[in-house]
Amino acid sequence: MEFTALFLAVTIVMLVAWFGPRSLALALCAAVLIASVVTYLHHATDALKLSF
Amino acid sequence: MTRASAIILNALGLYALALILAAAFAAQLLLHELPCPLCLLQRIQFTALAIGPILNIRFGPRPSHYALSLLAAVAGAAFSTRQILLHILPGDAGYGSALLGYHYYTWALIGFAAAILLLAAVLLFDRQFVDSAAPPAAPGAFARIAVWLVIALTAANAGSALLECGFGACADDPSVYELLKRAT
Repeated sequence: MEFTALFLAVTIVMLVAWFGPRSLALALCAAVLIASVVTYLHHATDALKLSF
Repeated sequence: MTRASAIILNALGLYALALILAAAFAAQLLLHELPCPLCLLQRIQFTALAIGPILNIRFGPRPSHYALSLLAAVAGAAFSTRQILLHILPGDAGYGSALLGYHYYTWALIGFAAAILLLAAVLLFDRQFVDSAAPPAAPGAFARIAVWLVIALTAANAGSALLECGFGACADDPSVYELLKRAT
């Protein structure tokens, strides 16, 4: 569900970038980037089995 | 590089992103390989990469627009690097099939690294930022088609992710479309 929301959010940011005010598009883009990093941190819980 | 040529370059970048998103869709639909959560996150970063060029085409090139794309590319590179490291041990077959010897997440890392290099290279040309306060000329059909192509592919990805994951958490190793499974 969170991935659907992120894709929808990017679509909305693109539409704002194309039709809306620049400052709003920049703010929304920053929010989407932060949300995607948070989603990554939520999912990246498996330990990396690395031994060199 | 003039402002007009920078806008053409940004439109070309959008076509390249559209090609990447379309190729990912083709692999999903033709090879019946559903993207995993990390794969979806990498696709999201490819779509986020497009926001900077859209702003450049609409408002004219500015360093802040390129910075947004750079941040998206760095995040995407980090996500794909983690997926490579998850499958790096000898004997691990990796996730999904390989294309020309590399899995899709390896290609994604190559793509994000190329985007970082290209964005840094484009930022070297200062002439595109001259008169950045002046309103840009209306974008031509070439640029407008590129913008709508990427917006359509991003919206299609939202629909695809909804079909795949449904309204709950997405499976780590998805094999069926959750919403279609419930419908049958």
